[in-house]
Amino acid sequence: MPQQLSSKDLSLFRQLHKYYDSKQYKKGLRNADQILRRNPNHGDTQAMKALILNAMGQTDEAFALAKEALKHDMKSHICWHVYGLLYRSVKNFEEAIKAYKFALRLQPDNGNIQRDLALLQMQMRDYAGYLQSRRAMLQARPGLRQNWTAMAVAHHLSGDLAAAEKVLTTFEETLTKPPPKSDLEHAEAMLYKNTIIAESGDTRRALDHLESIMRNQLDRTAVMEMRAKYLLSLGRMEDAEAAYRELLDRNNEYRAYYEALEKCLSLERSNQEHRERLTALYDEYAKSSERVDAARRIPLDFLEGEEFKTAADPYLRRMLRKGVPSTFANVKALYSDASKKQTIEELVEGYSSELPMNGSAEKQPNGDHSDSFQQAVLFFLAQHYNYYLSRNLPKAMEFTDKALERNPESVDYNMTKARIWKHYGDLQKASETMNHARSLDEKDRYINSKCAKYQLRNHQNEDALKTMSKFTKNDTVGGPLGDLHDMQCLWYITEDGLSYARQGKYGLALKRFKAIYDMFDVWQEDQFDFHSYSIRKGQVRAYVDMVRWEDRLREHPFYARIAIPAAKIYVQLFDKPSLASGLNGPIPDYDKMDASERRKAMKKAKREQEKQEKAEAERREAEKKNAAKKPVGPDGEPKKEDPDPQGKQLLATKEPLGEATKYVEPLLEFAPRNIEGQNVGFEVFIRRKKYLRGLKCLLQTASVDPENPTLHEQTIRLRKSLDSLPEPLSPKVSEVVKSSFTLIPDNVSLSDFNESYISKHAGSAAHIRGGLDARQSLDSNTQKKNEEELIGTLQFSGVDIQDGLDGLALLKSWGADEATVSKYDEAARKRWPEATFFETS
Amino acid sequence: MAEEPQPGNIQEGADDAPADLPTSAEGRKEAAALSSLEQRHDDDDDAAGAGAAARSKNVDTEALGKAMQNLDRGGGVGGAGAGAGAGDRTASSSAGAGAGAAAKKVKVDAADVGLLVDQLELSKVKATELLKAHDGDAVRAMTAFVTAAP
Repeated sequence: MPQQLSSKDLSLFRQLHKYYDSKQYKKGLRNADQILRRNPNHGDTQAMKALILNAMGQTDEAFALAKEALKHDMKSHICWHVYGLLYRSVKNFEEAIKAYKFALRLQPDNGNIQRDLALLQMQMRDYAGYLQSRRAMLQARPGLRQNWTAMAVAHHLSGDLAAAEKVLTTFEETLTKPPPKSDLEHAEAMLYKNTIIAESGDTRRALDHLESIMRNQLDRTAVMEMRAKYLLSLGRMEDAEAAYRELLDRNNEYRAYYEALEKCLSLERSNQEHRERLTALYDEYAKSSERVDAARRIPLDFLEGEEFKTAADPYLRRMLRKGVPSTFANVKALYSDASKKQTIEELVEGYSSELPMNGSAEKQPNGDHSDSFQQAVLFFLAQHYNYYLSRNLPKAMEFTDKALERNPESVDYNMTKARIWKHYGDLQKASETMNHARSLDEKDRYINSKCAKYQLRNHQNEDALKTMSKFTKNDTVGGPLGDLHDMQCLWYITEDGLSYARQGKYGLALKRFKAIYDMFDVWQEDQFDFHSYSIRKGQVRAYVDMVRWEDRLREHPFYARIAIPAAKIYVQLFDKPSLASGLNGPIPDYDKMDASERRKAMKKAKREQEKQEKAEAERREAEKKNAAKKPVGPDGEPKKEDPDPQGKQLLATKEPLGEATKYVEPLLEFAPRNIEGQNVGFEVFIRRKKYLRGLKCLLQTASVDPENPTLHEQTIRLRKSLDSLPEPLSPKVSEVVKSSFTLIPDNVSLSDFNESYISKHAGSAAHIRGGLDARQSLDSNTQKKNEEELIGTLQFSGVDIQDGLDGLALLKSWGADEATVSKYDEAARKRWPEATFFETS
Repeated sequence: MAEEPQPGNIQEGADDAPADLPTSAEGRKEAAALSSLEQRHDDDDDAAGAGAAARSKNVDTEALGKAMQNLDRGGGVGGAGAGAGAGDRTASSSAGAGAGAAAKKVKVDAADVGLLVDQLELSKVKATELLKAHDGDAVRAMTAFVTAAP
């Protein structure tokens, strides 16, 4: 029951509010305690105290107190509001919304609660609720433009474009005189309205509207681009041409403008006659500026044969004479066309022979780079032969060495050399060379990162961290690694995790992957402040872009890169729970040992683990002593110490498949065309016996690549497990399976189906591997034969090192004996003599 | 920008943003302060009221009131697709209303919902939606789910 406070306490309570707002928490606490001494059951005071406790970092106490406060006073909007605020602070948005709604029901005209609720609804994408909240806020304060704009955004995002436009127009009509040109908010709102009209598909009206407001717009580029786009899509080619030419005058390096201009002139790149006019067009722009690159480079995309040669020659000469290091990267996109690749190779090889390679005759203005042209040519050829479409590693190495002879101090040349070693498969040399390149310019963070990456590829995790530490803030909690986490350095954490995964240190690998998973969560939450901020700033178009980007945040390749290996590790953990004890590296294969050996090995592993734990505890103890004050993060918030730096708890999970599902679901939702993601998804679902989800993964893969080897093997596995279910599926499910699972024809036996697949793809190592794996799972008696054939795939033309590694992993997954594995390794070593992967096993 | 064309799903300009991000700790603190300061600004009725007053020089309050009424009449209260004015019903909103009306009629078997939740791992709400979209036919709903291509 709500209690009445005496007037003295009431003023204390008001003070308490002020203290909280001004963040004087200690004073606030004292105040609250004073009130509570006289009124121990006063809910509002308890709630405020809870809020202060939460702000001071005592979240658990805060929740307990807030609950007690609610018990004392269910009808107080303050208690419910505080409850909502607490939930919001721990990111439990759904519960927070419920609490806010209660608070709002008790006090419907409280603006603060209404606003907080609206923000949360937007965050949760509850558009219907958001619309309602926004309407209430607009009614409460119609004089504020923001409220109108926000209402329009609510309509827009929920898909009702007409209503959104109407809201914006209604507000405009109430303006007594046109706002000055400098009114940024007005200008933005007009452009926002224009994009809404355009999105509704009425381009003609959008154009008219745009032309009526153009005069007052401050974002010139946006207006010009929109106008040109509308003109083009309306077919007003002459006007569109003029518009795009104007845009090109502003920025002549933007490909999209050129492409649009071609469309305006209705020129087809594939049409021989048009090509001449296209060339003339680009020539015109190339001549307009000595410095423009785009106009010179783009024609190489569509010219062919002799024409291509005559155009490519001056382009390459120009770039190489200037010594532009990115020349190769700039033209390598052309290599997908084999004849262009050939032409470029001939041209540049020609340059290298036509020039005197020792002591140039012509004097260059910069004396010390007198042979810059030759160097650029050599560097180009080194990259050319290193590129996968034109790979010839010995030649690449030869040219790199020649270039290095002339300029041994060049970071770029050494970097390319490291890359060549990597392609040879010699990670050790690659890492050493990259480190040498780094030592040539220690102030360059780029080469520093490259070096760390190559060290990670070579399993030198500690060296890599040391390398990174040269550029991190090392006084943060957790040292360099802590700083990399704070700064959300995705690439490093990903590579570190992948490196640990390759070494079999699954605890640490999962730890890193989880860190990235959490970073995506952080980005999801980062938008929260902007639901109010962007509207206030009036930057609505950018805000809508952000909302839409957040909606498909996890389609980013970075997510797939960690989600797939993480899910794979969890699947492995499910298959072999004993892996969880192998924290510090690959564990001995317990299955192969006899009982006493196994006991011994396990004991040893346990002892080592204990030893490490002890060392860890000591280190932490020492750290605690050193750090007198509380560690703080980059935003000044106190940072909690990581209780599980080795990822032990992650590894010891009771539900590996549940964890795997968490990683896989966003992947399947946002990147459905990622085959590897679908493959992993299948592995997870078939182990969880969710056959329909597994089937969906298969069908999805089949729609992208029907001949995918993993798909083939998984299809057979699914058919096999469906045929041998211990208890039948529910009739409805089996009906769905029957009608949808048509990847294998009905009247064919699985092994026949598999054999025909193998013979169909006789030349491809990857496909054969899929077929052999399927054969192995159909009949384990065929193992010897399969092993032989697998080793045979190493002789195929076109197999690369990755194929070799995949084959090795497959061989081990069958539990092949040591003799076979070493036979495989030998064959692989013969094929890739420089590679370091096959030496130990 | 003459290098290789970017893949289609990469948006341009994404890298430009961090340029004006505060680099130092103080700068970051400032940004946070700015964010919360403006928040308070909005919290504070007086300040917001003043802002509204300043703006209202340019705004006809009477017209605003009328506009609000208009909006209410056209918009109705609550409801997702009901925002469009009476006169200019768009195709999308009327289609939404149509779907909504159709959805209400379909009866959904609770056992089917349970089956979908279990087999497809959907939330209850989503499973019901999916069933309704297929007239409560569980087999058709599941088939559609399994085969749905992006």
